[in-house]
Amino acid sequence: MTWRYRLVFFGLIFLFLLVVARLFYWQVVKAQELSLLGQEQYGTTTTIIPQRGEIETSDGFPIAANKISYQVFANPKEISNKGEVTAALASVLQLDVASVSASLALDKFWVPIESGVDEKTKQQLEQMNLPGIGFDTQYQRFYPEASMAAQLLGFVGKDSAGNDKGYFGLEGFYDRLLKGKAGVAVEVNDAFGKPILAEMNSSSGETDGANLILNIDRSIQFLVEQKIKDGVEQYGAASGMVGIMDPKTGAILAMAAYPNFDPRDYQDYTDDLYINPFVSDLYEPGSTFKPLVMSAAMDAKLVTPDTECNACAGPVSVGGYSLETWDNKYFPNTNMIDVIQHSDNTGMVFVAQKLGVDRMINYLGKFGIGDNTGIDLQGEVSVELKPSNEWYAVDLATTGFGQGISVTPIELLDATAAIANDGVRMEPQVVGAVQDAQGNMVKIQPKVLDTPISVGTAKVMTEIMVNAVNKGEASWARLKGYSIAGKTGTASIPVSGHYDPTQTIASFVGFAPSDNPKFVVLVILNRPTASIYGADTAAPIFFDITKSLLSYYGIPPDGN
Amino acid sequence: MKKAVLSIGVLALIVLGLAIVRIYISNQVATSGVALEQVQQEVDSYKMGNIQLAESLYTKSSLTNIAEEAVKQGFVAQATDFVLNGQVPVAYKQ
Repeated sequence: MTWRYRLVFFGLIFLFLLVVARLFYWQVVKAQELSLLGQEQYGTTTTIIPQRGEIETSDGFPIAANKISYQVFANPKEISNKGEVTAALASVLQLDVASVSASLALDKFWVPIESGVDEKTKQQLEQMNLPGIGFDTQYQRFYPEASMAAQLLGFVGKDSAGNDKGYFGLEGFYDRLLKGKAGVAVEVNDAFGKPILAEMNSSSGETDGANLILNIDRSIQFLVEQKIKDGVEQYGAASGMVGIMDPKTGAILAMAAYPNFDPRDYQDYTDDLYINPFVSDLYEPGSTFKPLVMSAAMDAKLVTPDTECNACAGPVSVGGYSLETWDNKYFPNTNMIDVIQHSDNTGMVFVAQKLGVDRMINYLGKFGIGDNTGIDLQGEVSVELKPSNEWYAVDLATTGFGQGISVTPIELLDATAAIANDGVRMEPQVVGAVQDAQGNMVKIQPKVLDTPISVGTAKVMTEIMVNAVNKGEASWARLKGYSIAGKTGTASIPVSGHYDPTQTIASFVGFAPSDNPKFVVLVILNRPTASIYGADTAAPIFFDITKSLLSYYGIPPDGN
Repeated sequence: MKKAVLSIGVLALIVLGLAIVRIYISNQVATSGVALEQVQQEVDSYKMGNIQLAESLYTKSSLTNIAEEAVKQGFVAQATDFVLNGQVPVAYKQ
């Protein structure tokens, strides 16, 4: 009989092991797969959209915030009187009756009707007690200062999956930081598929977006928005822009362009207005470029302020081209101080030829010309400088006075800021700090990019630019009592292989106070019609802005 | 034998006691969910209210709005500025 007991015993053991093995298979090997299968059966997964980070100016005021809006949805199966509900929804939400009617005719439990509905409209609909109509809370971008700094900010649109996505400017550049991390929540349903108040996983894993604290000063930004708008209208220009930077840190204090767009209704504007021209538009800088070339030649000890130009008695012939001064006035044996004061093209040809191609390329490169500045905005462009073997004699000569070379306004602003900052070029930075969802603040430190010229050269160049302001063609507009360094620019516009004689880009770049610069300002007017000259158009805007800034910073006159 | 009975009795009492404690705690906690839900709804409502108030505050304190209101109330930009930068003092003591 013993063998029978043993047979039964081992048989049971075998069956038990089979059960254990099968349990191990289901509970360990296939555990994750089955868990997901189960979740699909008794729950639905919902993506939790994090709150987008705010963009604040340096005073902590949010110029891009979030507001609550609602998505109106309908359950057509619960709506018996569809005609009445359609009419009510179309009337309150100002929608086409046909489109609402088509939505309510769908054989679905959930149909979106309208998104971005405000609180007042929501309350209006709630009071109507419409059957089968519900509301989902959602966040929407909100711009308290309306179109202020629109091209700097960019806007929030939708990606191909219908999710919020930042485009252009800061919204585009910092999109990943601002949007945060989406979370996932599982809604548990009962046997009838209706949601029950329970949570499978309390930690949904979403992280709200980080806030950006800008270097932009809201008061200055507001001021320059007004000034450039008034300037464009007053001088009949096609467009205009202003950039203001702290030369010591590279902090961008203001950046404005006109015309601009309203980020709330960005879809109502043409695409070209979305682009920030200060970082994306290339232009020939004209005479505002002369201080860079002059300081390069002085730094290389090829000229001094007292060096006399022996080729300034008349038009200069280079490579078959005759290069003239802007007003056809010539100053034989003029010195370098007067070359800048008179904005003398022939004098700058003399300087450029002294410098030579290799040194010109080297110094311009150190000034950041031909390369992106690294500003934290989407859409920055630059045109690389040609290799030295592709430069013709006339290229070198015209580069001396800022023609035949293309730069972006931010490149020129940053390069001029290097002169203001004792020869040290800083990286332009719009964002000063980033604050994460937990409130931790990370400050972005100023970054030195290069040292194109020595302290001594920078000081001398500054004095030459102060002289240009006090005695140059824009001296009528200058502020008496302050030492301000600056330079006018009237650049011809290349059209189909030649320069348009009637249209120009008028500009003025400068900084103040010259002995301890607090800000560098670049004003550009595109195709002004009241006068083609920078001294008549951009310069008054520059001095108007500078006057306000000196007053804003409480900088007293120095008596000069 | 007496010890065994005593042990079983003590164990039974412990089981019974723990069961009663569990029932009591379950009863106490059972209604907390509703209160918790109410608190959560209240918190959400305050959060919502804060966001709506912030929206209103930001709109009213924006420089754009302040400038518009100032114009409505008759304020105008100062037309001329001047600075005292001469060598001559503002007033002489005779």
